[in-house]
Amino acid sequence: MCPLRPALPGAEDPERSRGLVMTRFSKGIPQGAVIVALGALAMLLVAACGTGVTVLQPPAPATEQGKATDWLYQVVFIVAAVIFFLVEALIVFAAVRYRRRKGDDTLPPQIHGNNVLEVIWTAIPVAIVAIVFFISWQTLNTVDAVSADPKLKVEVTGFQWQWQFTYPDQGVTIVGLPDKAPELVVPVGETVQVSLQSRDVIHGFYVPAFLFKRDVIPGKTNVFDFTPTEVGTFSGQCTQFCGLLHSQMRFSVVVKSQADFDAWVTQAKATPTPAPTPTPGPSASAGGGGGTGGQPAAVSLSAQNIAFDQAALSAPAGTAIQLTFVNNDNGIPHNVVIHRDSPTGEAVFTGDIITGVATKVYDVPALAAGTYAYVCAVHPNMTGTLTVK
Amino acid sequence: MATTVLTPTATRARSGLYDWLTTTDHKKIGILYLGSSFIFFLVGGVLALAVRAELAQPGLQFMGEAAYNQFFTMHASVMLFLFVIPMLAGFGNYVVPLMIGAPDMAFPRINALSFWLLPLAGTIMMLGFVLGGSAAEGWTSYSPLANAKYSPGVGTDLWIVGLILIGTSSILGGINFLVTIFKMRAPGMTMFRLPILAWTVLVTSVLVILGTPVLTSALIMLFIDRNYGGSFFDPAGGGNAVLWQNVFWFYSHPAVYIMVLPAMGIVSEIIPVFSRKPLFGYKAFVFATATIGALGFSVWAHHMFTTGSVYLPFFSFMTFLIAVPTGVKMFNWIATMWKGSIQFSAAMLFALGFLTMFLIGGLNGAFSASVPVDFAIHDTYWIVAHIHYVLFGGSVFAIFGGLFYWFPKMFGVKLNETLGKIQFVVMFVGFNMTFFPMHELGLMGMPRRIADYSPMAGWNDLNLVATIGGFLIAASVLPFLWNVFISLRGGERVGDDPWEGNTLEWATTSPPPPYNFDRLPEIRSERPVFDQRHRLAGRATGH
Repeated sequence: MCPLRPALPGAEDPERSRGLVMTRFSKGIPQGAVIVALGALAMLLVAACGTGVTVLQPPAPATEQGKATDWLYQVVFIVAAVIFFLVEALIVFAAVRYRRRKGDDTLPPQIHGNNVLEVIWTAIPVAIVAIVFFISWQTLNTVDAVSADPKLKVEVTGFQWQWQFTYPDQGVTIVGLPDKAPELVVPVGETVQVSLQSRDVIHGFYVPAFLFKRDVIPGKTNVFDFTPTEVGTFSGQCTQFCGLLHSQMRFSVVVKSQADFDAWVTQAKATPTPAPTPTPGPSASAGGGGGTGGQPAAVSLSAQNIAFDQAALSAPAGTAIQLTFVNNDNGIPHNVVIHRDSPTGEAVFTGDIITGVATKVYDVPALAAGTYAYVCAVHPNMTGTLTVK
Repeated sequence: MATTVLTPTATRARSGLYDWLTTTDHKKIGILYLGSSFIFFLVGGVLALAVRAELAQPGLQFMGEAAYNQFFTMHASVMLFLFVIPMLAGFGNYVVPLMIGAPDMAFPRINALSFWLLPLAGTIMMLGFVLGGSAAEGWTSYSPLANAKYSPGVGTDLWIVGLILIGTSSILGGINFLVTIFKMRAPGMTMFRLPILAWTVLVTSVLVILGTPVLTSALIMLFIDRNYGGSFFDPAGGGNAVLWQNVFWFYSHPAVYIMVLPAMGIVSEIIPVFSRKPLFGYKAFVFATATIGALGFSVWAHHMFTTGSVYLPFFSFMTFLIAVPTGVKMFNWIATMWKGSIQFSAAMLFALGFLTMFLIGGLNGAFSASVPVDFAIHDTYWIVAHIHYVLFGGSVFAIFGGLFYWFPKMFGVKLNETLGKIQFVVMFVGFNMTFFPMHELGLMGMPRRIADYSPMAGWNDLNLVATIGGFLIAASVLPFLWNVFISLRGGERVGDDPWEGNTLEWATTSPPPPYNFDRLPEIRSERPVFDQRHRLAGRATGH
């Protein structure tokens, strides 16, 4: 017997066979496809309509804009889930239903295509993407809307690897430090307008609970609005890879009631620069005590291109040190912190952070003989060794 | 006459190694491409394991940020530029001339040059590790971070030089493929009888020739910025930081299709053979491929929605639209299997892995086309999940499918099917364990490219799962290496056409002789070998 008999009407002329077998294919669809479609729909109902869906859900939105994005996400998610279950079910069904049985060497019907089907499965996706695009566009107009008269303006400045939040109308500035991520404090229910600027490379201002991020780009100011809807603390982080300590560039947004916010502003004004703690040298640590009797030893150090110009310094023991620090990095903050033994040791002196180009003379109290490390608090990769003898 | 003089020169005996080093035979060059790309796959895989090991729990356990940043940068650079792209070029090199009935590529010596540039470029890129640190800005190398001020090491310069050489290799290869496909098809092979893999390589070559010079220009500008005081991308000197992103993605988005279209081509060869049916909707498939190629150049800015510097609705719409031809292909593959007689060989399993996983890569990409949703998920682990569902779930599964499918043609022996199926199952499970949790991590707010995360963030468990999955993927590669080793030493010898193939490479011996064919079957469809087999069978039984 010829095992190929049912299959090859067009073996002599494959071109001709294309038109012939199509009808057989479309007749063949119903039984299998209907079962598959029903199965997929059933799975979908379970997945989408159950109120307890927790798979692939964004955080509960904490802003008006975030709520719009969340609604849009749910639309896209349902469309994607329907397509996912339908197509995966079709693949699995076809693979299982039409597997080759042992000993079966018959050639299946040689179907070359079906133009009607091609048109259908082109047109339906076009319609779906057109609708989803239109909805996305409308939501974008909501999310991207910028108020002409925002209640509060904040200037956010990103730099390697910290954030600075300036409230121009309140006269308050917050700068983060490695051990203390900065907080952006805002009142609940009011429109806050953020303008983003970078002093060096590109960063990304991202708050997951707002379902929003915007790049912080040097040479360009990006502006967006957000209207927080609930009181609370929401963590944020830089999302655009910005170099060595990108992973530590964190911040949080603290949403307070209007009264609490006003109180915070008053308090923040009272402590002019809360973040760059101008710690005086802890006198208890310097072994020899005061030692202010003699002339202070003069030492100089400068920072350029996010690096100290000297990897090692030396100073006499038991004498106060006058450290002249020159920051040559335009617009970038640096300081000098002196630690006992190594950069992870106890800090014995913390200098004020200065934003370049600028010079500052630090009065470092007398130090006991030994090895110290100096580090820039903003850029922990800037280190050097100080030998006191 | 001169013809008699030529023969002795051509048959002069050469040592095996010398022959491999100097060969201009497209089959040997193809195998060299596949072998060197596979070595880079192992290198990139080890780098990925280092990254996953560090992320398994919060805190820095194995390395500092400096090493971590180098590792993830080089993982992506190696995997994209030294593994996926050259691997697929290797399949193109080995298979396309055979498929179209040609004796070799159009320019055999340029073909050899295209290949030998790659190990050179790869070595230059990796040299950074021993010269004070490799590039560490991410494979996207965004400026101004990539400028000398913020990334002073020589590693980034080596990365740029290596990438320019790889681009040169791609451009030469693209021209070679186009001329080969347009001018060297066997008599009777019209464009609409071209095997689908050849079509996808053709469209890919057009993308390479249009896109790669743009990347090369951008890289040269970056090199000038870094070394000769330029400021193309540095706003401090009057340049524009977003300009880099525009020119970079103008190449690098089409590059995604460069890495996916030939993979689709491989799958489109495997599924019909193991379903014993022709590809459903051949012409629709060709038009869909061309449409993806054309639309591929109009969607690059969807990588830049959060910059605030692009007109969002246009790029959003084009990005949505490019899903349509991809969907058409998906339905055509399913229709090809429908009513077929499906044999679950290892190659077919990997092709099914491609279908089921690439579908997810398409759907989770559609979230990014919706601009406000992109604002929520851009630059988070959701995107890491997306690219891996496209490039691993898509390209890598297709690559392994292709290796199992064409191995008997290349070496005359089959790879062990059982080992292949074990590899597939472990890889499939490991892949989903690694990358599916990343969707959740992204929604929870975990940014990509971070060396460390807070233990309070709630990301610990999912990261641990992903790391275990990553090591499972690594484990799945071991049976493959063993499989290649034992098969080359004494695998099951098979005939010229072990799978009952459709296309011309199955009409010659395994492995094929130099210049490929003694004679060709008549070509009257896109399946000349199928036609020949069944016409003969029909005659034998008096049909």
